[in-house]
Amino acid sequence: MHIRISHETRYRYDAPTNGVIQTLRLTPRNHDGQHVIHWRIEVSEDCRLDAHEDAFGNITHTFTAEGPFDELGVQVQGEVDVQDTTAVVRGAIERFPPSLYLRTTPLTEPDSAIVDFARDTNSRGDDALAMLHALLGRIHTEMTYDTDPTHTATTAAEAFALKRGVCQDLSHIFIAAARYLDVPARYAGGYFHRADGIVQQDAGHAWAEAYVPTLGWIAFDPANGICATDAHVRVAVGLDYLGAAPVRGSRRGGGAETMAVKVLVDQAARQMQN
Amino acid sequence: MLSRTADNMYWLARYVERAEYLARIIEATQRLTAVPTSDGATTNEWESAVATAGCAAAFFLAHKEANEQTVTDFLAFSPDNPSSIRSCFEVARSNARSVRTALTVEMWDAINGTWLELQKLGAGPASREQFANFLRWVQESSLRFDGSAYRTMLRNDAYWFSRLGVFAERADNTARILDVKYHLLLPPQEHIGGPLDYFQWAAILRCVSALTAYHWVYRESLKPWLIADLLILNDQMPRSLASCYAHLVEHLDNIARAYGRQGLAQRHARQVRTRLENSRMDEIFKGGLHEFIGSFIADNNRLGALITEQYLL
Repeated sequence: MHIRISHETRYRYDAPTNGVIQTLRLTPRNHDGQHVIHWRIEVSEDCRLDAHEDAFGNITHTFTAEGPFDELGVQVQGEVDVQDTTAVVRGAIERFPPSLYLRTTPLTEPDSAIVDFARDTNSRGDDALAMLHALLGRIHTEMTYDTDPTHTATTAAEAFALKRGVCQDLSHIFIAAARYLDVPARYAGGYFHRADGIVQQDAGHAWAEAYVPTLGWIAFDPANGICATDAHVRVAVGLDYLGAAPVRGSRRGGGAETMAVKVLVDQAARQMQN
Repeated sequence: MLSRTADNMYWLARYVERAEYLARIIEATQRLTAVPTSDGATTNEWESAVATAGCAAAFFLAHKEANEQTVTDFLAFSPDNPSSIRSCFEVARSNARSVRTALTVEMWDAINGTWLELQKLGAGPASREQFANFLRWVQESSLRFDGSAYRTMLRNDAYWFSRLGVFAERADNTARILDVKYHLLLPPQEHIGGPLDYFQWAAILRCVSALTAYHWVYRESLKPWLIADLLILNDQMPRSLASCYAHLVEHLDNIARAYGRQGLAQRHARQVRTRLENSRMDEIFKGGLHEFIGSFIADNNRLGALITEQYLL
């Protein structure tokens, strides 16, 4: 699928801020089945956008915008061609052996409830792939997608207790449970093209990738209850949301800050495949 | 556009690029044979040149020994070698004649003018000085053709097919140089490479006009793993494998967009490009440079076959 993406993040400050420094993880990389045709980042203030690569291989852009200004916008536009690879992630940058992704983080620490949930899902002692599919299905059905009660700092345990959350929370729960069952898992952030025709979204999308020794890294999307298809554009990976967050930064001064995000994920002109 | 037209544009560009490459190899080999062997090393430079040109089998059927006389004759003038400089320009010109209307006046003048000069040359230049001029002239002819294509052709599918030919051939050529000389690029074991190794390395870089570029990018003395990095992974270097594949992907995407469909050729090119983008030189050396280059040449040939199947038949 040929997907066109426009992602705009706009910050408004009550009082003009003196300066903002941000690290962006907004640029997808090529791997088997994903081909970036063009991609562009624009920042509304004059600044130098330095491209680097972080430890996981994500492309990061860092910039410092000198104030004073009371509005900052980061606009991302691009086109990506994604082919279905039956959710197997191949040809991507792998800087670490899979066992690194067994490490727990505060956001993905399993509490006793998640431990019970994981044990219960694995009660039949199935092989890893079947177990992960069962986990995916259970999280998708037993959790309710709700944007209200959680925020970006909500841990997996908190979201699991509420039985509500957004794709970030569901992915954290999946990762926490999978790691408890000794399956390396990581957080993947990116964009998802909706099949129901809704083009405008409030945020990017998040899902999880788990490592199965015979197959490699497989992408599971608990928010949609499916494995990744040719509608998923993978941008960044990390141990959890913090490692793959699209924007992280800080500012000097500026009073209260409000943030507005507008994401448009659309299918570009139809192209036949042979 | 007829697939026959696309076929002619593709092969026209490939043969002109090949002719330039052969001239470069011969020039580089001549320079290398002028270097005195230090410790009685028995590398036969002319044999290595034939291997770099990819026609070792055919050469040894026709000639017993590889020396300056036989190799320059075989690579430059022999009508029996389908990839000699003379044959390359013959085939290129006959391809150009078939698609005369798809070429601009400058392009036709360039390739036809070259062919006419070649007819005048007859059996070959008499003296060594004339031969050196001949090699220079071959490279200039190829440049003139490539330059006139770049400067005057309309950016449509004819142009993109001709670019595919250029970059597919260029990637193949750089990979062959690396393949033949790879043993020089492996990290040195106990002793530091002597003066002979330096000339060999410099010859590899001169073959792709990268000697100054190397110093510009790395600001160090010649080191084999950096040479390999420059010629395989560095996007800035126009003859590197990574750069050739970036262009191949770009032009295949242009063709796909123009025709409204993409296929195996586009996907394969993207796969190779992604592998080059995501590799690091230490990983390649760990996995084996020779194996890497061997699999790259196979992938490149496969891309040629896929392009042929998809568009040129």
